Amino acid sequence: MRPSNPWLNVLLWIILSFATLFPIYWLFVISVKPAVDLFTTPDVILRSFYWKNYIDVLHDETLRRYMMNSLIISTGNAVLCTVLAFMACYALSRFDLAGKENIFFWTITNRMAPAAVFLLPFFLLYTKVFVIGDFKLYDTRIGLILLYCTFNLPFAIWTLRPTIDGIPKELDEAATVDGCSTWQTIREVVWPLARPGVAVTFILIWVFAWNEFLLAATLTSFNARTLTTGLSEYVTTTGTQWGKMAAISIFTLIPALIIFSMVQRSIVAGLTFGAVKE
Amino acid sequence: MRQGLKAGASALILAMLAGAMPAWADFWSDAGAKFKGVTLHGVTESTPPSNYIKDVLAPQFEEKTGINVEIETTSWDQMYDKAIKDMEAGTGIYDMVYIEQDIIYAYLARNFLVDITKTLKDDPSLKAPTFDEAKFTTFADYFKNADGDLFGVPMEAFIKVYLYRTDLFNDPEIQAAFKAKTGKDLKPATTHEDYTQIAEFFTEYGKEKGLDLWGTTSQAHTGHPASWYEFFESVAPTFGVYNWGINAADNYGASVEHGGTMNSPEAKTALKYLLHLRDIAPPESAASTWTEVATTFAAGRAAQGLVYGENAAWIASDPDQSKVVGNVGVALPPLEPGVLEAAEAGKGYIGYYDGGAFGLPVTSKNKEAALLFMQYIGQDEVQGPWAVAGSRITNTATYDDPAVQELDKKLGGYFTMLRDQGKLFAGAPPYPFHAQVREATAPIFYEILTGAIEPDAGLDQMAAKAEEELTNLGYRK
Amino acid sequence: MRSNKVGWWLLAPTLAILGIFGILPFIYVLYLAFHQWNPFGANPEQVFNGANNFRRLVFDKEFLLAIWVTLKFGVFAVASEIVIGYFLAQLFMREFPGKGFFRTIHTLPLIVAPIVVGSIWRLMTTPSVGIIPFYANELFGIDINIGRDAGTAFLFTVIMDIWHWTPLVTLTLLAALLSLPKDPFEQAQIDGASRSQIFWHITLPMIRPAILATVFIRLMDALRTVDEVWMLTGGGPGAATRYLGLHIWKVVFPKTDYGYGAAISVIVLYLTLVMCWMLYVGLVAPRNKGN
Repeated sequence: MRPSNPWLNVLLWIILSFATLFPIYWLFVISVKPAVDLFTTPDVILRSFYWKNYIDVLHDETLRRYMMNSLIISTGNAVLCTVLAFMACYALSRFDLAGKENIFFWTITNRMAPAAVFLLPFFLLYTKVFVIGDFKLYDTRIGLILLYCTFNLPFAIWTLRPTIDGIPKELDEAATVDGCSTWQTIREVVWPLARPGVAVTFILIWVFAWNEFLLAATLTSFNARTLTTGLSEYVTTTGTQWGKMAAISIFTLIPALIIFSMVQRSIVAGLTFGAVKE
Repeated sequence: MRQGLKAGASALILAMLAGAMPAWADFWSDAGAKFKGVTLHGVTESTPPSNYIKDVLAPQFEEKTGINVEIETTSWDQMYDKAIKDMEAGTGIYDMVYIEQDIIYAYLARNFLVDITKTLKDDPSLKAPTFDEAKFTTFADYFKNADGDLFGVPMEAFIKVYLYRTDLFNDPEIQAAFKAKTGKDLKPATTHEDYTQIAEFFTEYGKEKGLDLWGTTSQAHTGHPASWYEFFESVAPTFGVYNWGINAADNYGASVEHGGTMNSPEAKTALKYLLHLRDIAPPESAASTWTEVATTFAAGRAAQGLVYGENAAWIASDPDQSKVVGNVGVALPPLEPGVLEAAEAGKGYIGYYDGGAFGLPVTSKNKEAALLFMQYIGQDEVQGPWAVAGSRITNTATYDDPAVQELDKKLGGYFTMLRDQGKLFAGAPPYPFHAQVREATAPIFYEILTGAIEPDAGLDQMAAKAEEELTNLGYRK
Repeated sequence: MRSNKVGWWLLAPTLAILGIFGILPFIYVLYLAFHQWNPFGANPEQVFNGANNFRRLVFDKEFLLAIWVTLKFGVFAVASEIVIGYFLAQLFMREFPGKGFFRTIHTLPLIVAPIVVGSIWRLMTTPSVGIIPFYANELFGIDINIGRDAGTAFLFTVIMDIWHWTPLVTLTLLAALLSLPKDPFEQAQIDGASRSQIFWHITLPMIRPAILATVFIRLMDALRTVDEVWMLTGGGPGAATRYLGLHIWKVVFPKTDYGYGAAISVIVLYLTLVMCWMLYVGLVAPRNKGN
């Protein structure tokens, strides 16, 4: 695009990053302070470290299990939703399906429901209806992976649709003429071109699933509990354990960052996309 | 004192004997044998007493009986919601649920819980020789029905006490300044007037000296029920307004007009008292729930305040969380004249007795095994270390434990007060509509706190709203 | 032309999942909305009461107020996020050293769980001891008390939401910008179009669907927010930040008023739907006609 001094951009981003990072820095400050210090005169600069929160958290085996569950559920849900949404968007974009715009709009209505009331029917479905022998969806990872589709799949469809619509139809028509099957066309032509959109969709779904609280809290109890539900355990009537909560959150930034930077490379890969029509 | 020591020593010997006696140990393995491989599921709030069950008592029990126990700890709201959904839908996920004293009446009304007394009587093979209902403190009465049958094994109990800073109250300079200003001796207040005076004095003192010190704490969050509870459970009773001002005997009337006292002159005075204290409390009070009140006090920002007993313990003893360790005094809440006499005569109460029990849902699929576990946590033997870990006492034998007596000294005599004066405090009134009426009236209360509604008019509105909600729920005809 | 059968097959899993997990619960909630049901009422059973719940809604001041503050919150927060997010996405279209690093930093807030976001902001804004009120007082002599001043509390919920969710907007708009073909822009530059002309006549129309999708998502999510606000203000002071998500939560969780809560949810769902439909028709339909 327009030429401009790249260092000016860097400067601007340093300033912006301060705004973004300050609350996270504060999260760190909270994690290395004894609780009582949070209610005294604050100090921007950290002068002493109190590591007990981290030691406690590191020794907590349950938390590791929660973290594992969270990783599996978020990743599973993100993969499932991205793939399904990609297929759905391709269908909506390339085929002349009856009522497809209505279907498209209907999908998003699934995200509008305020969760609190819907917990009850989900609870009943998961404990009494979707039961095969001894197997219930309640308190299983797969249960949450499927459940999160209700709000993440619509999201994925809505964010991917513009991307796929934006890929010129002529390209896959050309591929079809060349003898590619639908599957080959998707894999060889559309998927690579849609990568920035897919990557962003994946990341955001992952984030939504990672952060989801109400449904996970209600529909799991021992085996499939996620980290967010674990965090809520620190808000108690005898005091909120701010420090531990913060320490865990700082820890959770690490796996999330790894996944983020992995997926973000795909966005960079998409940079060449503008050259498609040449 | 000597008596106490002796009792403590004999209790210790008894406890040691209990641990050594093979016949008793055998009960658990024999009784457990029938249920080997069974896994019990419990849900409770993640507080220190509950975590002690999860981390210490459950593993002990597993080892002795071969019955597995999984305790799910979660937040307060979640715990209720999940327990209620489970029992309502009859899914039988939980074999044990935490029952806070304020919700027991709702559960009893719905027949959600198993009658422990009766079940143990009907099947004596389940009865542990070391479990004795009679050993529980009076707090257990809240978990009994009209026939005196027990529906929950009390696991934690606290009273909301008046905490004051002994270092400030005993400082000769401050004492002199107080005397000069008010003509009175500085000592823990027994009346509202004294309390207000002390609070005003310290707030001014803090301002003059440029200290971060105020005269009182105030649990006055403008969007959280903590403030509502502060008024109805801690302040109003000290003015002689009991049971939230709702008259259960007279068709659940709340307004004076309909036989209630929610908007009585006493209630209005109480509310203004609360608002005044809020105004001279540290600025964070408007965003303070019980948690922040405790932390404010622990941070040394307040000279006195009403604090829940479960927090009183760590404020007085945990240097990681508190800057006032060793400087905490405990006293009864300040009262209007006549309230103490009424409480002693059993016609009223002076503050909040808070806590909870473990109950057994009728929908449980492992009732017998769950009963074993509940008896296990009710024994004298396990109480001492548990009391030290969670500062809770529900069993009279616990007071005699030497470790508990040691801790009591650190807590400024909190346990002694719980034992001797616990009866003056009361839990939530026996309403099956506890949360419903609270949530219906709380929004008006928040508006009073923000100043959008005048206190007098606000209480009138709250009384009307309470009656409306009770009518809607079908309790008020 | 390929057969539509393939298209339906591609769409089928989505329809199946949303059908089962979306429609079944909705039917149950709809059923509840026509019943009086509080398990702790004098009569704990579900009793059919026609449209009474809905009638009650119309006169429920708390509910109407919740709608109003929620809309205010949604509009302020989402509008700011879109503007800031678009601006940042444009910045990321340029080449500069350390871009990947800054992009990662910028996405950090997304990974922090809502309940923790609420906690951070709560501790930062605790009157007199939180870092923000403390320095506001120290440096500017301003008294900030989130527990007493409705405007302040509202503002902080908006700022918190902007902090937490702007990265989402940046990312989605960035993806949209990245997938635009270059030709029209190069052509416009050759023709000597100004920056604002390019923005209004080329960029905006082309990324309109993406903006719309983002507005939809953010708006709906803002209308459903619970955890963060619950942690920060609890809905206070008074009812100033008692947003719909939180309001419904309070009706359903502590109050266990399932029937009424269901009715509120149905209405909220309906209102959201109508609002989004209007946006959709207004913004997307013209484009489709143009095609």
